[in-house]
Amino acid sequence: MTATQTLIALLLTPLVTATFIALFMRRLGAIASYFSVTASGLICIFSVLAIGHFDGSTIAVSWDWLRFGTFEVQIGFLFDSIAATMLTMVAFVGFLIHIFSLGYMQSDTAKARFFGGLSIFMFSMLGIILADNLIMIFVFWELVGFSSYMLIGHYLDTEEAKEASKKAFIVNRIGDLGFLVGIVYAYWHFGTVNLAQLEALVTAQPDLINATIAAFLMCGFIGKSAQFPLHVWLPDAMAGPTPVSALIHAATMVAAGVYFLIRIVFLFPVEVLDFISYLGATVAVYAGFCAYAQHDIKKILAYSTLSQLGYMAAAFGLGYPGVAFFHLITHAFFKALLFLGAGSVIHGCHHEQNIFKMGGLIKRMPVTSITFAIGLMALCGVYGMSGFYSKDAILIASGLTNTPIFVLLIIGAFLTAGYMGRLFWIAFLGTPNSEAASHAKESPLTLLLPLVILAMLSITGGLLQLWPDSLGGLIRYDVDHLHHAEQYDAMHYFVLKLGTAAWIIGLLAALFFYRVGASEDRLKKNFLPIFQFLHAKLWFDEIYNFYVANVQQRVARLLNFLDLLLIEGLLIRGSAGAISLLGMFARSIHVGNLHSYVYWFLAGMLLLWLACFGLF
Amino acid sequence: MSTFDLDSLLLLSSILLPLIVGAFLLFGAFLNKATRCWISALGFGWPLTVAVLLACFFEENIGAYNYELCLPTGLQSIGIYLHLGLNAVSMPLFLLAGIVGFSAGLYAIFSQVDRPHLYLALLLFMLSGLLGTFASVDVFFFYFFHEFALIPTFIMIGIWGGSNRRSVALQMTIYLTLGAMLSLLGLIALYIASGAQSFSLPELRSYLAANPLSQTVQNNVYGLLLFGFGILVSLFPFHSWAPKGYASAPTGAAMLHAGVLKKFGLYGLLQLGWPLLPLGAVHWLPWIIWLALANILIIGLITIAQRDLKLMVGYSSVMHMGYAFLGIATFSVVGAGGVLLLILAHGLSVALLFLLSTCIYQRSLTLDMQQMGGLATKAPVLAAFFIAATMASIGLPGFGNFWGEFTIFVALAEGVSTRWVVFPAAIGIIIAAIYGLRASANIFFGQPSSGFTERLQSGAIRDLELHEKLPATILIIALVVLGIFPRVVSDAANDELSASYSLSSESRFPEILLESPINKIQLEETHK
Repeated sequence: MTATQTLIALLLTPLVTATFIALFMRRLGAIASYFSVTASGLICIFSVLAIGHFDGSTIAVSWDWLRFGTFEVQIGFLFDSIAATMLTMVAFVGFLIHIFSLGYMQSDTAKARFFGGLSIFMFSMLGIILADNLIMIFVFWELVGFSSYMLIGHYLDTEEAKEASKKAFIVNRIGDLGFLVGIVYAYWHFGTVNLAQLEALVTAQPDLINATIAAFLMCGFIGKSAQFPLHVWLPDAMAGPTPVSALIHAATMVAAGVYFLIRIVFLFPVEVLDFISYLGATVAVYAGFCAYAQHDIKKILAYSTLSQLGYMAAAFGLGYPGVAFFHLITHAFFKALLFLGAGSVIHGCHHEQNIFKMGGLIKRMPVTSITFAIGLMALCGVYGMSGFYSKDAILIASGLTNTPIFVLLIIGAFLTAGYMGRLFWIAFLGTPNSEAASHAKESPLTLLLPLVILAMLSITGGLLQLWPDSLGGLIRYDVDHLHHAEQYDAMHYFVLKLGTAAWIIGLLAALFFYRVGASEDRLKKNFLPIFQFLHAKLWFDEIYNFYVANVQQRVARLLNFLDLLLIEGLLIRGSAGAISLLGMFARSIHVGNLHSYVYWFLAGMLLLWLACFGLF
Repeated sequence: MSTFDLDSLLLLSSILLPLIVGAFLLFGAFLNKATRCWISALGFGWPLTVAVLLACFFEENIGAYNYELCLPTGLQSIGIYLHLGLNAVSMPLFLLAGIVGFSAGLYAIFSQVDRPHLYLALLLFMLSGLLGTFASVDVFFFYFFHEFALIPTFIMIGIWGGSNRRSVALQMTIYLTLGAMLSLLGLIALYIASGAQSFSLPELRSYLAANPLSQTVQNNVYGLLLFGFGILVSLFPFHSWAPKGYASAPTGAAMLHAGVLKKFGLYGLLQLGWPLLPLGAVHWLPWIIWLALANILIIGLITIAQRDLKLMVGYSSVMHMGYAFLGIATFSVVGAGGVLLLILAHGLSVALLFLLSTCIYQRSLTLDMQQMGGLATKAPVLAAFFIAATMASIGLPGFGNFWGEFTIFVALAEGVSTRWVVFPAAIGIIIAAIYGLRASANIFFGQPSSGFTERLQSGAIRDLELHEKLPATILIIALVVLGIFPRVVSDAANDELSASYSLSSESRFPEILLESPINKIQLEETHK
C-alpha cells in the first residue's frame, strides 16, 4: 500500500466499523465489541505502516470537497512528524482502552452503542490528527464533540448523564463559535486555510499574522481543552463510563485542543501567546485547588487533567510548542493509566466512586494499586518517570522566560502532589471503609493488561532517545533548544530541586494531614469554610446556571410573550379586528329599512355635491 | 418550439401522474385499502423515480435547461408558455420534492386518518404542484404551480388539523395569500417594467442584462418580491403563521410544506432577485440583513422557550430561514451556493423532524416536552433517529445543513460590508444547540416525569415500526449523502450560479467583491 492508501484505510476503518455496528449489530453487543476492538487493532497496524512510509518528509495529499465560486474546501492529509507522534499515541492508547472496555463494559446492556461510539470517536479523532486544513479540522472537531456527547450520555436513564452530555456539547459549541468565526475570517484574510500553505504564507509575510483571527481560533482550544471560562463541562463529563473518561476526557480529545494549537502555532502573535500562557498557568493552579474538595475519584482525576492541560497551554504560550506536545504525549500515557486504574477500582468496588468509602485496596487489588502508584509518580514528576521529563522541561522553559508563570506552575506542582497523595493514601492504604471496599477483588486480565502496558509507557515515555527519529521532530527540536539556552544549567538544577521538593513535600503533607485510609475528609471536618470555598470552584457553575435560568430563559420567555402579544395579537389580530369593525359598520348600514337608505342616499349626494364644488 | 423527447415527457409525466392519481383517488372512496395503497404508492413513487433518473442523466449545460418542453397555453400573446425544464439549480430542488414527497406519501399511506382517499389525493396534488414549481422555466407557471400546491395545505389543516385548526387554517390562508399576492404583483410588475414581452426566465434574464431597469423600478419590484416571498418563507416579523400552522398541520402536509413548498420563496429570490434586479437588491440589503438576524436571534431565543415539540420544530425552521436570507443578501456565488445547500438540507431535516415528532406524539400522547423523559429506554431506534435529525438541523458536520450554514458564513465574510454579520449570525449555532439538545434530553434521556412514568411502564410504547422507519431512513440517507459528498449538488450548481451571479456582480456592483489581502501569487501557486 502506498502512504496515501494507508492513511485512507486508517481513517475509514473506524468509520466503517461504526456504520456496521449501527446498522447490523444493535442487539449483538458482544460481537460489536470484538468488532470495534479489532478495528482499533487495525488502526494500530495501519498507523505503524503509515509511519513506515514516513521518511521525515511530509506527506500531503488532498481532494476537492466542495467548491462555490472563490470558496474551496479540500479534504486531505498532512502527515508530518507531529501528526505521526499524535497518531501513534492515539492509536495505541486507544487500542489499550478498547481492550480495557471489553472487560469493564462486560455486563453493560448497551454494549453495541458504547463500542460504536468508541469507533466513531476514533474516526473523528484520527480526522483531526490527519487533517490538512482548518475546515477539515473543524468538521472532525465537531464530530469529536458529538461522539463525546454520545458517550457521556451512555447511561442515558440517569439525570446526571442527561445533564452532563448536554452541557458538554453546548459549552463546546460556545468555543466552536469562536473557532468557526476565526476560520471564516482566516479564509479571506489569508486566502487559504491549508495548514502547509498558511505556514509558507506567514513565514514569507509575517505581517499577515492577525491577532483577532488568532484569538478567535484560540476559542476552539479553550472549549475543547476545557480552559477558563469553558472548563465547567469536563468534571461533569465524568458521568460517562470510565474508559470514556480515560480515552476522551483525559488522553486524547481534550488534548486535541493543544494539538490544534501546535498545528497552527505560526498564526499566533506574541500577545495571544502570552494570554494563552497566563490562562494555562492560572487553570493549572485553580484546578489543583478544586481537586481538594472532591470525593469522587474520577472527579479528582478530572481536575488533575484540567490542571495538566493548563501546563501544556502555558508551555505553548511561552513559545515552546514542542515541550507542550511532549507533555501532551506523556500525560496521555499516565493519565490514561490513572483513569483506567480508577476504572479498575470502581469495577472492583461495585461502582463505588467515593475515595472515603474505599481504603486498603492495595491488599485486595495489588496490580491495580501498583500501576496506579506508577501513574501517580509520573504525574507528580518523580525523577526518572515520563512525567518528570516533560514537566521539568515546562518548568525550565517558564523559569527561563516568565517568572510569574514559573511561580504559578511550581505552586501547581505542589498542589498536584498533594491531591494525588490524598487520593492514594486514603483510597489504597489503611483499612476498608465500606462493605464494597472490603469485598473488592482484583480485576480480570483484560483490565489489568492495559494497566501494565500503560505503566511501562508511563515510566519510559519520557526517554527521548527511545523515540524513533521520525517521531522526534518538534519535541526534540524544542527540548534541544531549551538545553542550549543560556543559564540552562543553573535553572535545570534549581527546577530539579524544587520539583523534587514539590512531590516529596506534597505527598508527605497529604499523608500527615489526611492519614492513611481516612474515612472522612479532615479538611471538611476541621476547616469547613476553606473546604466550602474550594468546593464552590469560584462559583462558575452557579453563575452559569443563574444566567441560563434567570437571564436566558427569561429573555426567551419575554420574547415569546412579545411575539405572541405584539406580532400575533396586535398586528395580525389587530388588522383582522379593524377589518371586522369595518364589516360591522357596513352591516349596520344595511338594516333593510327604506328610510335609512334614503338618508344615507341624501348624505351621499350631499358629499358628492360638496366634492364637485371643490369644498374638499 | 416544442420538442417531445422521451426525457422531457418523463418530466411532464412526473408532474401529471400524481395529479391524475390524485383526481382518481378523490372519487375513490369505494376502493379497498390495498388498491388505494398501491395506486397512491404509484403516484408518490413515480416522481421520485423520474427525479432520480433525470438527476443521473443530467448534463451540465450552463445557462440552458435540460429536458426542455414548451407547450403553448393559449396565452402566447403575453408570453406565457408551459415551459418546463431543469437546470443545475432547480434539479436538486426537484429531486428534493421527489424525496420528501415520497417519504411523506409513504408515511401517509400507512397512517390512520379519516377519509384516507381524500387525504392522499390532496397530498398528491400538493406534490404535483411542488414538482411543477421547480420544473418551471416560465415565471408565470412557477407561480401558478406554487399556488396549486398551497391550496391543498389549507384544506388539509382545516380538515385534519390538530387543536384550534380552523383559526390556524384561516390565519395561514390570509397570511400566505397575502404573501402570494405581493409576489404576484412583483412578478407582474417585473413583466411590465421589463418590456421583454415574456415570462420565460432565461429570456427575462438576457433581456434585463442588456436593458437594466432604473433604480426606482428595481427598488419597488425587489421590495415586492422580497416581502412577498419573505412572507411565504416566514421572514421576521411575518413568521407567526409558520410554527402554529406546522404544529397543527397533519404530518404529510407539514413535511411537504415546511420541507419543500416553503423553499419556493427562497428559490424565487435566488433565481430572480440578484440576477434580475441587482440595484434593487442592494437597496434592500440592510433590511434583509436585519430581518434575517432577527430571524436567527429573536426567533432562536423564542424557540428555546417552547415546551411543545412541534412548535419548537416550527420555530426552529423559521430560525434557519434567517441563514438562508443572509445567504441571499451576500449576492455572491458562494452565498447562493450556500443557500441552495441549506434549502436542500433543511428541507430534508425539517421534514424528518416533523415525521419523528408525530412518531413521538403517538407514543407519548403529549407534545409537552417537560411531560416526557426516558423514552430512549423504550424506543432506542426512535431516539437515534431523532438525535440524528436534531444534529443535522443544528448543523453537525456529516449532514448537509453544516455545509449550507458554513458556506453562508464564508460568503458573509467575503463581502466587506457584511463581514460583521458573521459573528451575530454564528451565535445561532449555540442557540440551536441549546434547544436541540434540550429537546433530545427532555424527551429521551433521564428519568420520566412523574405523569409519564405510568405511560412509559405500561408496555404500550413500541419502537419505530417499518412504515415509520422507511421514510425516515430515506431522508437521513439523503442528508448524509449531502453532508459527505456535497459535490453531487455543488459542482454543477457552481457553474450555473457563476454564470448568473458573478457576471452581474462584476459589472454592476464592484464594491461587493472581495477586498481581502490575499496574496494572488500564493493563490496561483496553490492551484498548481
